[in-house]
Amino acid sequence: MKYILMMTGTKADFDWYTKWPKKDLEAQFAFMHAFNKELKDSGAFVAAEGLAFPDQAKIVRAGKNGEPITDGVFPESKEFLAGYWIVDVESADEAYKIAARASAAPHPPRNGPGGTEDNQPIEVRQVMSGPPEELLR
Amino acid sequence: MKYILMMASTKAGVNGYKAWPDKDIQTHFAYLHALNKELSESGEFVATQPLAGPNEAKLVRAGKDGAPITDDVFPEAKEFLLGYWIVDVESPQRAFEIAARLSAGPGPGGVPTNMPIEVRQIMSGRAEELDTAGSGARIERSR
Repeated sequence: MKYILMMTGTKADFDWYTKWPKKDLEAQFAFMHAFNKELKDSGAFVAAEGLAFPDQAKIVRAGKNGEPITDGVFPESKEFLAGYWIVDVESADEAYKIAARASAAPHPPRNGPGGTEDNQPIEVRQVMSGPPEELLR
Repeated sequence: MKYILMMASTKAGVNGYKAWPDKDIQTHFAYLHALNKELSESGEFVATQPLAGPNEAKLVRAGKDGAPITDDVFPEAKEFLLGYWIVDVESPQRAFEIAARLSAGPGPGGVPTNMPIEVRQIMSGRAEELDTAGSGARIERSR
């Protein structure tokens, strides 16, 4: 069973991330590197991608003639996907355990010194091999 | 250049799709299937994945002992990723054109849904090798 583990954040979260001290960024890179290697060694790793920052995000709609209409304005509260992992595991619980590992990645206190130590929430959903059954019924 | 084209919707939006007549759902998926085939033939197709519905989504955090704490309560306004396409194209404009094709997919009665598609560049190479999430983006951006 394949699951997708998604890290998301608002623009404010991304702004915070750009202000991390170098030491904290290095600690995070080292963690991610070891984490991905461990997933690969265990055979659970399927894919992982990091996305460009939200300031590069565009919303695209088809105009009447089918041409793309692009817009770069988003609500403050919008959650942007920062990156994801896809893992192939035996059960949902196994996916949740892996998500908890990603959640526990090292980070500086949120909102500066003395801020919260809250772990990063990771959204977990099964990846379907075809269209979701609930859409096909 | 790789771009990810993301289709997202709220729970209310997903409930809207579920109410589509079967015929319209089939027409929509036939459209997507033809588009996937076209992108494969043009060499631009990298990957696509549909995701399980929002009702199955869990938010996972590590507890103090590192054990997963799962939660499935989300704000009404939350946009859930429903599926994505990754395409390898020559320019952002081409990614936008493909996103517009997705947006123009037929809805009920064959009327284009005009649903919004979020487009972002994928930070290739690094993302595959080492980093995930914002890390790759950060490196790329600081160049």
